[in-house]
Amino acid sequence: MIPLRIKVEANAEQPFVVRLRSFEAMPGTERGACHPHDVCLEAVDANGAEYVGEGGSLRILGIDPSEIDGDVLLVNPQRGTADRIIRSSSPHNTLLVTERCDQLCVMCSQPPKKQHVDLFEHFAIAAMLAPEGATIGISGGEPTLFKDQLLGFLARVMRAREDLHFHVLTNGQHFDDADREAMHALDRSRVVWGVPLYSAEPDVHDEIVGKPGAHEKLLSNLAFLCRVGAQVELRTVLMRPNADGLPRLARFLAASVPFIQTWAIMQLENIGYARQNWSRLFHDSSSNFSPIARGIDFARSRGIDVQLYNFPLCTVPLPYRNLAPSTISDWKRTYLEACRDCRLRNHCGGFFEWHPKEHGYAGLGRAA
Amino acid sequence: MTNLWPLRFREFADRSLLFADDAGGFFKSDASFLDRYASDGLTSSDKEFLRDSGHSYDKQFDLPWTSFAYRWARRQSKPQDLNYVILVPTLRCNLACGYCQVSRVAETARGFDWSDETLKAVLAFLKTIEGSEIKIEFQGGEPLLRLDLLEAVRDFCRARFSSAQFVVCTNLQHLDEAAWAFLEADDTFISTSLDGDRETHERQRTHDRARTTTFFSNLEAAVARYPEGKISALPTVDVTAPPDFEALLESYEKYGIRSVYLRPINHQGFARKLDQGENALARWNELHADFIDLLIERNHRTGRFMEEYYFSQCLKRVLHFGADNHVDIRNPNFFAADYIVVDHDGRFYPTDEARMLSRIGRIDLSIGDVTSGIDRSKVQTLNSGAFNHFDPDCIHCAYQPFCGTDVVDDISRYGRIDLPRYETSFCGRHLAIFDKVFEVIYRQDEASKASVATWLGIADWDISMLAVHS
Ligand code: SF4
Ligand code: SF4
Repeated sequence: MIPLRIKVEANAEQPFVVRLRSFEAMPGTERGACHPHDVCLEAVDANGAEYVGEGGSLRILGIDPSEIDGDVLLVNPQRGTADRIIRSSSPHNTLLVTERCDQLCVMCSQPPKKQHVDLFEHFAIAAMLAPEGATIGISGGEPTLFKDQLLGFLARVMRAREDLHFHVLTNGQHFDDADREAMHALDRSRVVWGVPLYSAEPDVHDEIVGKPGAHEKLLSNLAFLCRVGAQVELRTVLMRPNADGLPRLARFLAASVPFIQTWAIMQLENIGYARQNWSRLFHDSSSNFSPIARGIDFARSRGIDVQLYNFPLCTVPLPYRNLAPSTISDWKRTYLEACRDCRLRNHCGGFFEWHPKEHGYAGLGRAA
Repeated sequence: MTNLWPLRFREFADRSLLFADDAGGFFKSDASFLDRYASDGLTSSDKEFLRDSGHSYDKQFDLPWTSFAYRWARRQSKPQDLNYVILVPTLRCNLACGYCQVSRVAETARGFDWSDETLKAVLAFLKTIEGSEIKIEFQGGEPLLRLDLLEAVRDFCRARFSSAQFVVCTNLQHLDEAAWAFLEADDTFISTSLDGDRETHERQRTHDRARTTTFFSNLEAAVARYPEGKISALPTVDVTAPPDFEALLESYEKYGIRSVYLRPINHQGFARKLDQGENALARWNELHADFIDLLIERNHRTGRFMEEYYFSQCLKRVLHFGADNHVDIRNPNFFAADYIVVDHDGRFYPTDEARMLSRIGRIDLSIGDVTSGIDRSKVQTLNSGAFNHFDPDCIHCAYQPFCGTDVVDDISRYGRIDLPRYETSFCGRHLAIFDKVFEVIYRQDEASKASVATWLGIADWDISMLAVHS
C-alpha cells in the first residue's frame, strides 16, 4: 500500500500547503521558476530529505524523495505529519472536504464524524499546484453540506486552471433552485457529480442511507442537476437489499433519469460499516450475476452507459467484462492467492487492500 | 393531479396496439386500454403503469417532467459542424452499370473533371472548415481515374487537419501500382459496390466475364492485403430481379464485411429511366422484411452474426435517444450542416441524390459553388421542409419520434414536398421498416432475441425488456 501520510518536521504553527520539487527531476529548470508554494530539495541524508522554499524549510522523513516529487502536501507541523493530498504520479487524488454527513448508509466506508475543519483555503492552493490535466476527486462525508464554499472553490479553481477536471461525490440531498447560478458558473464539461441511488423503491433506498425521505429529495435534486446541465455519474452500490431490484432500477433510470452520463454499479468495499454488516450486505456476484446482467442489458438497450466498478474480473461473466474497468485506486489495490497465475490480472482491479482473505466469492479465479 | 403526455397509437396485424409519446417512450396494449384512454376512464392501475413508464408527471419541473423534456430534446438532431465532404473530382467512369447511380460519362469524355481552378477553390474551401477533424469521401465517376486530384486533396487535408480520413468509392476495375499505393495508407478506406454473388454482380454492373473476374480478383487482393474494416461494400438491389440473398450474405461474409446496407436501385440519376414496374415500393418492403428474417435465421444457424445496416440504425433509434447517425432518421434533417457534396464542376449540393437529380435537369438543387460559397438562402428553403414535427400526417403517427424526412427524395419523385405523407415513398419505406422493428423486438423465439441483442450490442434481449400493459 502506498503511504498517504508521511512524517515531517517543520518549523511553523499553522498547517500549510507545499509542493515538493527536486531539480534533478526537472533538468534545465531555473530555481527562479518556482511557485511561491514550492519547496525544493536541498539535501538528502540517511534519515530524511531537506526541502527549502520561500516560507522556510521542511524535513521529510522515511520516504525516498524520488517517490514524492511533484506531490502537494498539506503539512500539519504540530503533529509532525503531512498528507499527500495530490500525488503527482497518481490519477486518483481526492480531497476530503468534511467528515460530516446527514445520511448514515449501512455500508458507509468512512463513517461520518461530528467535527469539521474547513480546509477549502488549503485545497484551493493545492488544486492550483496539481499536475497538468489532472482530475481531482472531491469527497467526504458529504461535501455539499458546505455547498457555498464548495461551489465557490470549484468556480475559482476552474477559472484559474482550465486544464483541471473534478469528480464530486455527493448524496444529492442539498441542492436547491437557488444554486442555479452557482452551478451555471461552472464549466459543466469539467465536473462530474457522482450521485448514489440504490433503488427505485423509496423504502429500500431510504433504509440503505438511513434517512427517511432521502429518496424523494434525491429525485427532485436529480431533476435539478439535469436542468442545470450537470454531468451525473449515477452510483449504485450492489448489496443484498438492492441486488434483486437492479432490473427495476434500470427501468426507472431509462424512464426517469435518462440524462446520466454513466450508471456505475459498484461492488461492496469491505471497510467501515460494510465490514460490520458484511454478512448481511455482501452479494456474491460470482454466484448470482443474473439481476445485475438483466439490469445492465436493459439500461444498455436504452442507450445508457453502464460500468461495473470494483468487480474482480473473474466474477463477471464474459459478455460483461468489457464493462468492468480496473477501478480500485492504486494505493488501495491488492490481489489474492487465487490471482497468482491469472491471465486477466493486467486488466483486473483486484481487491481493496482491506478485503478479507475469506473473500466470499464462490467463483473466484475460475476464469484464470 | 397527474398529467399525461399525449399518446399516439398504431394497430398491428395481431390487433395489438402500439402506443408512443412524443419523446419516443412506447408500450403495447389493447383496444380496451385505448377506449379508457380516449374516454377519460383510466383506472388506477393504468395510471400507475403510465407513471412508472415515464408517460405522466405531477408538476412542471419534477423529475418525470424533466426526464421527458430531456428525452424529447435528445431525440431532436441539432445542426453540427461541417466534418464530412463528398468530392466528385471526375464524372468519367470506366464502367457503365445498367442503372448507374451517379450519372457517369464515358471514360474518354472531356470537360467532366475538376479544372486547376476548381481544385484550388476546393482546397481553399476545405481550408475554411473550422473543426480539427475531417472525413473526405471521393465519389465519381471513378475517382481513381484522377489520382492526381485525390493526392492533392489528401496531402492538403493531412496538413490542415489534426485527424483526416479518406474513403475512395471505387468500382475496383483498374488498379495500377499507383492506385494500390494510394489506397495503402492507414487513413484511406475503400468503399465499393458488391451486388451479391458473381452472377448478380455481372448482370447488374460489369456485364462481361473478364471485367467480373477483374473486379473479384481486385476485391480479393484488397481483402487479403488490408485489415478488416478497411473495405466496405454496398449491394444495390433490383426489386424486379432480386439477388439470391443467401449467396449475397455468403459473399459479404467471405470478404469480412458483416454489416450489409441493402439499397434499392436509386430512383435518381440514370436509374429513374428504368421501369421498375408497379408497386416497386411494396415489393421492396417485402424483400427487405424477408431479408431481415433471413438474417435472423442465418445468424442463429451459423452463430456468426451479420446485420442489415439501416435496420440496425432504426432499431437503435426506436430504443435509444441520440441514435440518429443516419440522415434519413434525423429530425430535423438540416442540409449543408455536417456534410456537403462538391461536384465535378465545383458546385455544392446538399446530398449526392440532390446532385444526381440536378444533373438530369429536373430541378436545380445546387446550393452555391466553391468559388462563391454556400448559398444559405437556398439551404434555408430546403431546411424549412426538413422536419416532421408539424406534418399533418406525421403528427398522428406513432413512429414520428423515430422517423425523419427526405425533402430531396420527395422532390425527385413528385416534384413537390407537400404531398400527404402517407402517399410518399419515404413514408411507405419507414412505416414498413418500423413495423418490422416492432414486430421483431416483440418476438419471443431464441433466434430473434439473439439477433436483436447482437444488433443492439448487448448480451441478452428478451420481451420482458419491453413494456406491455393490459
Ligand atoms: S483471479 Fe484474476 S480476475 Fe480474479 S480477482 Fe484475481 S486477478 Fe482478478
Ligand atoms: S413519414 Fe410516415 S412513418 Fe414517418 S413519421 Fe411521418 S407518417 Fe410516420
